[in-house]
Amino acid sequence: MAGLAVAFAPLPVQPIRPQERTFQIEARQFAYSPSELNVNPGDTITIRLISTDVVHGLYVDGYDVSVEADPGQTATLTFTATKPGSFRFRCNITCGAMHPFMIGKLTVGANDWLFRSAGLAMVAVLGIVILVKRS
Amino acid sequence: MAKIELTRNTSIKNALISRYPQLAVFVVMLMGYIFAILAGLVGTPVGSHNFIIVFVWIAWWAILILVAVPFFGRGWCAVCPIPLPGEWLQRGAVLNPPEKKPKWFNLRWPKALRNIWLQNISFLLLALFSSVLLTTPNITGIVLAGMLFAAIGLSTIFERRAFCRYLCPVGGFIGLYSQTAPIELRIKDKQVCATCEGKPCYNGSTNGYGCPWDVFPGGLTKNTYCGLCMECLRTCPHDNIAVNMRPFSADLAKPSTRMDEAFKAFIMLGSAMIYAGVLLGPWGVLKDAAYNVGTSAWFIYAAVFLSIIFLVMPSFFALCVTRFENLNIFKKRFATLSAALIPLGLMFWVAFSLSFVLTNASYILASLSDPLGLGWNLFGTAQTTWQPMLTTILAPGQTLALVGGLIWSARTAQKAANEAKVSAIPVIGYCLIVTAVMLWLLL
Amino acid sequence: MKRSELLSRILITAGMLLAVGTPLFFWTQTPLIHARMAENGGWNPDVIQAEVGNPLHLRLTSDDVMHGFSVGQMKMDAVDVEPGKVTDVTLTFDKPGIYTFFCTRWCGVNHWRMRGTIEVSGPGANPEPAPTIPLYVTLGFDLDAPHESPVIPSNQPSAVRGQQLATNLEMSKFSNPDFYRTNSPYQLFEALSSTNLSDLEKWDVVSYIWQSNTTPKALTNGRDLYAQNCAACHGENGGGDGVFADDLAKAGEASMESMTGATDMLMQTPVDFTDSKRILGAAPALLQGKILRGGMGTGMPMWGSIFTEEQIWDLVAYLYSFQFDYQGEAQ
Repeated sequence: MAGLAVAFAPLPVQPIRPQERTFQIEARQFAYSPSELNVNPGDTITIRLISTDVVHGLYVDGYDVSVEADPGQTATLTFTATKPGSFRFRCNITCGAMHPFMIGKLTVGANDWLFRSAGLAMVAVLGIVILVKRS
Repeated sequence: MAKIELTRNTSIKNALISRYPQLAVFVVMLMGYIFAILAGLVGTPVGSHNFIIVFVWIAWWAILILVAVPFFGRGWCAVCPIPLPGEWLQRGAVLNPPEKKPKWFNLRWPKALRNIWLQNISFLLLALFSSVLLTTPNITGIVLAGMLFAAIGLSTIFERRAFCRYLCPVGGFIGLYSQTAPIELRIKDKQVCATCEGKPCYNGSTNGYGCPWDVFPGGLTKNTYCGLCMECLRTCPHDNIAVNMRPFSADLAKPSTRMDEAFKAFIMLGSAMIYAGVLLGPWGVLKDAAYNVGTSAWFIYAAVFLSIIFLVMPSFFALCVTRFENLNIFKKRFATLSAALIPLGLMFWVAFSLSFVLTNASYILASLSDPLGLGWNLFGTAQTTWQPMLTTILAPGQTLALVGGLIWSARTAQKAANEAKVSAIPVIGYCLIVTAVMLWLLL
Repeated sequence: MKRSELLSRILITAGMLLAVGTPLFFWTQTPLIHARMAENGGWNPDVIQAEVGNPLHLRLTSDDVMHGFSVGQMKMDAVDVEPGKVTDVTLTFDKPGIYTFFCTRWCGVNHWRMRGTIEVSGPGANPEPAPTIPLYVTLGFDLDAPHESPVIPSNQPSAVRGQQLATNLEMSKFSNPDFYRTNSPYQLFEALSSTNLSDLEKWDVVSYIWQSNTTPKALTNGRDLYAQNCAACHGENGGGDGVFADDLAKAGEASMESMTGATDMLMQTPVDFTDSKRILGAAPALLQGKILRGGMGTGMPMWGSIFTEEQIWDLVAYLYSFQFDYQGEAQ
């Protein structure tokens, strides 16, 4: 029961007015800078991707949007952060050996899923510990 | 859920005993393995478009860690092609034992090395170079070829499958994790073995070879070292060997007290966490350090990697193994309780692997049509664009795996602690903390 | 040996020969042109033979990052050369000669060095037409001499204002391409000293004349050429602050340390086109010359074998738009 509560109970959300957020992200082999972005749900995000060595892309997990930039040609990606949670963004133009691990993280609102999972883990452990004590 | 003897079904039994189905699988696997090596050596240097990287580190790895190990234990070992050429040489035949056995050295594996420490080391070696290994076709090609030649070489010097049992980096961890699997190979009746003359299951007969895994089937109580090769099914004259379905992690009810296995658990748990942070995290400086082998950054990375695994994690765990009377008892208790880390580690690897497999599985379709990056289009899928798959199930899947693993490990800790007559709570707390860290790293 | 054993051995051997032979055979049968970053070897092979009239089929692949392929002085659309994938290109040449092929997608600071040649043989080889002598040579311009404008405008000159001002002036002498190409904006500014315009007004007229010597289409073409070929070093806004500017500066410092006796080391940082002193003192022919010839030891590529004359004039016209406000021109 507690587990279900943790997993599905709606958390109190402070409504924050959506803003326009612009981020300038530099891409190099094999990292983004900055690599962690935080926005509020509903924000309109504009990412200006600047490749500093070779052609890179930026693909956002969960939102399925992407953009690619040649060095010297900043590319822009705009989308609205309708889905809350934590989403990785990654390079989608093969840019060398470590390309599959060229990753950044976008957090929209709070990382709800992480909190719920951690909560679930604690509830589970509590349950087992109680069982252990009882036996 | 009780045991179900699968080999009671005659079709299953005959399929396992007959050498032909197994040989067919072997030929396909070995061809694939050799093709992969060639692809790695002459194909495109771009990993994501080379058969060897896509089919070893994405396809094979996914099947191994998501299906083969959790559900079939050492099932991969049963079909692995690496020991085959050496074994055929060693045996002098590819099917039943020949009349004249070839004269190889057939030495016994040295006593001091009859543990999994060499496998711990070989896995760690691969792990420390993993950023280069996982992304570079010719490096993976050289490693695969190296393992093949090592297995052949060892088969000409030592008896049985020395590479598989004592050296293979993969075998080290799938042996450990096979204890959680729902299938097993065991004898049916101990009395039958007690009165059996010659023990052909271990020494071989005209029907088959003695256990290549250097296991006495009559004494098998755990899956850890049985490679499911089915030789004993062929040699046992009393039909006393069975393949059973059984509850998950039945073997962990009687945890091992060996330190080499205990440290294997830490190696796997720790490397899953480090990989999650370095490979899937947003910290570019860690990736640089991991990839640029030979630089001072890499040496620091390697030192940190090894100290997490050999110092940090075990010491904290040791604190959870309460009550220190004397070293030997403590070591036994430490090893027994570390059984809790086995299901946890397996689920850590499942959760970690889900991420990069679902993200990159689309490369499999492209690589099927153009395995060498030469511009082929065998099945019309060569232009498949990269597209992460099933992304909505990823986070729930990882949570399920990690929380499920935590529950599983807590239960295992409970049973192991009962055995060791200590409280399970500190160990459960340890599991909770590392699970929380892994959740944070992955989600 | 039993028959089953023999057959099994044959099957295994056949399988292994297939597994080894198939990839090896097809690998040798598939000549590919490999693209690599210049630091990793560039194009391989980098010399290709062809014949006039015979279609040349090329199969290109990249071994590392995204590259592109195009041939200089030829009308063709560039194609992408993707890592691990093969791109097919067919070229037909109607004139013999040595053509330069080059990478069209930035692949590092040495991207421009990724070039190779296609040697096209065939009828029409003799007589070769005399190569056109670049204007800067005819005019005797020293491309490496400083060309500072003694006077610069206080604000950005506006071509629209200049047009209005110019209606009252006799501009025919200045509106022809010969004058435009051979004189710097400053020289036109000086030539206007006979008028009673203020300094800024004179610069406005200069900017108008400069704009009238080009077309919106040419400026757009120049803008695209700049974005694809120049911005990575010279900056997207012309400020000499492109993504490779730092790397070039470091390379310059390094080579300065190793050079002995060189006093006037050429600047290694990319030119800042917003620097009025430098640009307003440069005639179009001078800029054309620098683009054609390259930077003699700096990181500035030579584009003579790549761009057509028309492309370079378009690019030169665009460069002045970092100085002048060409309203209506796509910025």
